[in-house]
Amino acid sequence: MPILICMSDVLLRLSGVSVRHEMYDETGAVSHGTPRPRDVTAEVRAGEVVLLLGPSGCGKSTLTLTANGLIPHVVGARMDGTVTVAGVGTTTTTVPALARDVAMVFQDPDAQIVTATVLDEVCFGPENLLVPAPEVLARAEEALRRVGLWERRDDDPEHLSGGGRQRLAIACALALRTPVLVLDEPTANLDPAGVEEVYRILREIAAGRDRAVLLVEHNLDAAIGFVDRVLVLDADGHIAFDGPARAILTGHVDELLALGVWLPVATLAALRLRAAGITLDPLPLTPGELAAALDTTPALPAPRARAAADVAAETAIVVRDLTVHRGRTTVLHSVSLTVAAGEFVAVAGANGAGKTTLAQAIAGVVGARRGTVEVTGRAGFVFQNPEHQFLTNRVEDELAYGLRVLRRPQAEIDARVGALLDRLGLAEVREVHPFLLSGGQKRRLSVGAALVTRPTVLVLDEPTFGQDRERAAELLDLLDGLHADGTTVVVVSHDMHLVAEYATRLLVLAGGRVIADGVPSGVYADSAVLAAAGLQPPPLAQAARALTRHPGWHGVTRLADLPALEPTR
Amino acid sequence: MSVWSLRSYNPVVKVLAPVPAMIVTALSRDLWTPAVLAVIALAMLLIGGGLRGRTLIAAIAGPPLLVALLTVSFGVWTDPDLVDHTTALLTAGPFTLWSGALETGLATGLRVAAVMLLALIAGLTTDGTDLVRSMIAHLRMPYRIGYAGFAAMRFVPRFRRDLEIIRLAHRVRGVDGGRGPVATLRRYNGYAVPLLAGAMRHGDRVSLAMEARGFGAFATRTERRHVPLRLRDAVLAVWLVAVCLVPHLLSGALG
Repeated sequence: MPILICMSDVLLRLSGVSVRHEMYDETGAVSHGTPRPRDVTAEVRAGEVVLLLGPSGCGKSTLTLTANGLIPHVVGARMDGTVTVAGVGTTTTTVPALARDVAMVFQDPDAQIVTATVLDEVCFGPENLLVPAPEVLARAEEALRRVGLWERRDDDPEHLSGGGRQRLAIACALALRTPVLVLDEPTANLDPAGVEEVYRILREIAAGRDRAVLLVEHNLDAAIGFVDRVLVLDADGHIAFDGPARAILTGHVDELLALGVWLPVATLAALRLRAAGITLDPLPLTPGELAAALDTTPALPAPRARAAADVAAETAIVVRDLTVHRGRTTVLHSVSLTVAAGEFVAVAGANGAGKTTLAQAIAGVVGARRGTVEVTGRAGFVFQNPEHQFLTNRVEDELAYGLRVLRRPQAEIDARVGALLDRLGLAEVREVHPFLLSGGQKRRLSVGAALVTRPTVLVLDEPTFGQDRERAAELLDLLDGLHADGTTVVVVSHDMHLVAEYATRLLVLAGGRVIADGVPSGVYADSAVLAAAGLQPPPLAQAARALTRHPGWHGVTRLADLPALEPTR
Repeated sequence: MSVWSLRSYNPVVKVLAPVPAMIVTALSRDLWTPAVLAVIALAMLLIGGGLRGRTLIAAIAGPPLLVALLTVSFGVWTDPDLVDHTTALLTAGPFTLWSGALETGLATGLRVAAVMLLALIAGLTTDGTDLVRSMIAHLRMPYRIGYAGFAAMRFVPRFRRDLEIIRLAHRVRGVDGGRGPVATLRRYNGYAVPLLAGAMRHGDRVSLAMEARGFGAFATRTERRHVPLRLRDAVLAVWLVAVCLVPHLLSGALG
């Protein structure tokens, strides 16, 4: 270690940072929870992009809030240790004053908009800092041009797409011209086209090397290409690893898996191949690297044959010539389709393509013209935000509600609710208020509330929206179990990887019409359809289709397609 | 912008200066005062409002319709004991239409229409953002309050969407509870918890995002767009106050 460390280039320094959130008991007394994160010491230097990883609930977002003093100044939490930004301790100054040094981009683009035009929005930050008006405009123009929104400066931010609004939030952060930029899951609420837009901007910012960037992101496949260093927290909030991204991800892959950190799909694929006796060295992190590594392998076993989908002869859903108008716009243009009992159908497409409307029409949430939608048996519907559908004050009452509406005998209600609580892993919180559950528990409860009446068709609207990979996978495993038991599942989703892994059929909507309908691997092969719907093929399909030496692998889209020793997913 | 465009005037002046005329209108008991003031306000809007399309049609056709509606409904619903000294215009079975009832209705309709048109002088020609900017600059309102107002305005469409979804979600769960005011109240009570939980979380996030962007760092902010307060605004203010006297002067002149 050299004696003379250049202190000046460390822009963000955390030493011994622990945060304990305030918790309130029934009497309103305040106590502090267990520290998440716990005793974190780390540095972020100028020109560096640092990715913060860790399992759900380890304190990643909390840690980002300490970077500009929101913790401890605004958010009710106790912080131990110190955070210094460009040499100034965050506890000795105020959040607005720190805005000169640290800019933040949050997860929800809607919650960051204050003003009525794109230009005013970008000017808002510099105006707060009393930057002279001509310079405010100059900064705003530069920032808006950088994210490609200068032409739309007079528009209401409301009229931008989700991706556009998040690019606006990034422009707002850039206009502050801070040396440090912190982004907390900036793409979690976006559709695939929006994710791609935001990542294009982030790649450019990273390439500029003019500021320190701290990023929390669960979509490693998109982020790994421009990240220099990873900081990994374990479930207790301690730092588990801190080092160059590639070295950590490839060198500690088994420990990372054990921690519950989601790895890039290319890496997961390589691990699965390793178990089947095919070793790729070094471990690939991106689809391109995976394809290159596979192409240098002289011989590969054939991909696993897909078990023919167990589809019964009877139909579960029939949609005939369904047209839906909302105001003067036509949301769905004479959509017709038949879904057989036991299918697992994914509905994908850009925002505004009519996915939710179709799903709601199938489940009978919104009325459709008589005869256009027929469902055999009962249909259950799960809304995007679980809280919207909670009705009672206790978890078990929430599950029982649907059965009470149907006036089932109490014994039957008790038996079904008990079984469902166990299945959903909610037995321990059966008496808790639904709003006090964790995000993952709320999601499971909302699915349970729809399941309790044993619907033959279960329809879910973006059930993984805003959730990290871990919770998304947990939910999809639950759906997969239901599907295996014979329930017909229809799920609206943006997540192509999850769709590819679980769905037996993929329906792509664009402009209110079905533009593709078939097995996911077939749809992914149609680049025109994907482009029209603003979709990207899942990372594994990208790698498989790039292979030159192994044409037999071109149809691989799922980890389950890869050769393996044991038939596990 | 041209002196003839109401948009070129200061928003605070446009909001405050018609207030005396509104008070005079509201307190008037005759037909003449509200009628004259309504016509003046409408003329100002037509000349300087730059109205187009549906707004224009609504501004022209709305007030007469409103007046007609109120005249007829007052004519039907006014307590006959109050007006039975006036002329009976029509008798149908137990019902008698009194001229006094129609007159009360007409006066009320004219008063409502005049106040509405006077308010629309600001309402149809002012940008909400400029009004708040002008209030900060000219009425010395603290900018925190003004910007809290902006943020609150952005909440409204969001709540409407949330409420719509919550209502659907509850219906899907089988919440019915029947018809009638009690059941409706109970239903809305059920919407309150998810709506408020969402609103509080959203409000928290918005305030975090605002502070993270330096909101409140200083006692003032850079104002990029100055909403001017000019001679023409003084002229408008004097005119709008003087308008209160016009009905009186005009009736004197016309005898």
